[in-house]
Amino acid sequence: MLEVSDIVTSYGKIEALKGVSLEVEPGKITCLLGPNGAGKTTLMMTVAGILKPRRGSVRFEGRDLAGQAPRRIVEAGIALVPENRLVFPNMTVAENLAAGAFTRSDGAGIAEDMERMYARFPRLKERSTQAAGTLSGGEQQMLAVARALMVRPKLLLMDEPSVGLAPLVVEEIFRIIRDLNRDGTTIFLVEQNAHMALQVAHHFYLLELGKVTFSGAPGQLAEAEVIQRAYLGSKKTQ
Amino acid sequence: MVTFLQSLIDGVTIGSAYALLALGFTLIFGVLRRLNLAYGSSILVGAFAGAAVFAQWKAGGWAVAAATLAAAVAAGVYVERLCFWAMRKGAAIASMVSSFAVWMQLEEFLALLFPGRTLSFPPLVERSVFELGPFQFRTEYVAMLAIATLLVVALEWTMRATRFGLAVRAVTEHPEAARAMGVPVARIAFWAFVLASAIGGAAAYLMASAEEQVTLHSGMQLTFTGLIAMMIGGIGSLRGAVAGGLVLGVVETLVQAHFGATAREIAAFGLLFLLLVLRPGGLLAQDFAVREAAALRRV
Repeated sequence: MLEVSDIVTSYGKIEALKGVSLEVEPGKITCLLGPNGAGKTTLMMTVAGILKPRRGSVRFEGRDLAGQAPRRIVEAGIALVPENRLVFPNMTVAENLAAGAFTRSDGAGIAEDMERMYARFPRLKERSTQAAGTLSGGEQQMLAVARALMVRPKLLLMDEPSVGLAPLVVEEIFRIIRDLNRDGTTIFLVEQNAHMALQVAHHFYLLELGKVTFSGAPGQLAEAEVIQRAYLGSKKTQ
Repeated sequence: MVTFLQSLIDGVTIGSAYALLALGFTLIFGVLRRLNLAYGSSILVGAFAGAAVFAQWKAGGWAVAAATLAAAVAAGVYVERLCFWAMRKGAAIASMVSSFAVWMQLEEFLALLFPGRTLSFPPLVERSVFELGPFQFRTEYVAMLAIATLLVVALEWTMRATRFGLAVRAVTEHPEAARAMGVPVARIAFWAFVLASAIGGAAAYLMASAEEQVTLHSGMQLTFTGLIAMMIGGIGSLRGAVAGGLVLGVVETLVQAHFGATAREIAAFGLLFLLLVLRPGGLLAQDFAVREAAALRRV
């Protein structure tokens, strides 16, 4: 569904991604693990079109989207749940959802999808007229997910949805991820929390210092080693 | 007591024009996170264009207003293309410094074009004073308050109820997230600039028509008034800008009533100083700085 090949993205002269290739299969949860600074968020931003790659291609359902404007990428069916949630704090929950549907112009369809989001996340419905900044961390994460779903994406990019949340809330977020996937959304997940990620992932990649160093199914690598490499990086590449 | 209330009424009236100035400033600052020091001079270009149309053809209020707004928007677009659009992402200081340069450029341009430096401006309505109980109302100020209020309400509606307004607010709060959702940030910034220039032009028109003249010194006054009102209200908050404009208008008028016109000049800066000490974020402070830092740390 999504094929990233040989992507190089740099900040000035520093290459954050040094030729990354990976694949996300339709209907699956694919996970990208790796230590801080490995380039996970850079990859997400490149796929979402916020950063332009210097080289390489991002093929989605056969079309090359590398370097396209975010709007085109959203319209192609890819939505991003950004790191740190980035809900609009002074806008209400309903306004956040409306902003998520910015690229759409079918008012009736948007209203209908908003109701679907409220049905899926009843707590957002209770707080629909409240400013998003007053929500708890977990509720903000739900809102960030719902906001991304407002464009009915085929592929949902999630950048560290568990960061800064209490363990019980993290479990709830992962339950939501599993539910969304079961309902047909393909998910590409970046995580620090390797333990939780390995429980939901069908396939995972390890990214270390801008390069993919492992690709396989959970279980193909001992969890202890995954965790070691996801947090600290392996000795080889350091 | 009557004097105090009378000052309060006058202050709210002039404050409504200040609120418009601050709204323009806030819109630009919110979307771009950059200070536009050429703001006052670009809307002064509008006021001079209005005065020129009046001098040339003895045109009526509407034609003068249209000329003022059109020229203010044109000058605003010039500033946006030169000092903001052309500057690289992250080059906030370059934008501020170049907008300072353009401020000087526009004022020199006006000084060369209009050597007299002071032009007369047509009043909005016929000047007269009417009394309501113990209070005096000047018709031109009542008209100013009415139009400014209408514009503030219209802007509030635009920001709450339209797609454009939603996009402006989203870009103001988290540009990265807005971009990820497909909001064309550069285009929204351009139109926010156009809108801000039109609002600024309206403020300049109202103030010039109340004073029935426009001078070259007004540029700096417009910039500082807008800037101070924005900072009093809380940077980045549209409601704060309105509050800041009103508070500044009331304080200036009260100070003038009790301590004279010279003290009025100092009042704005004194008020700003006091507020920065007591409530650094402004009256309706937003935790912009904090959120900004959190968002940027990761990117």
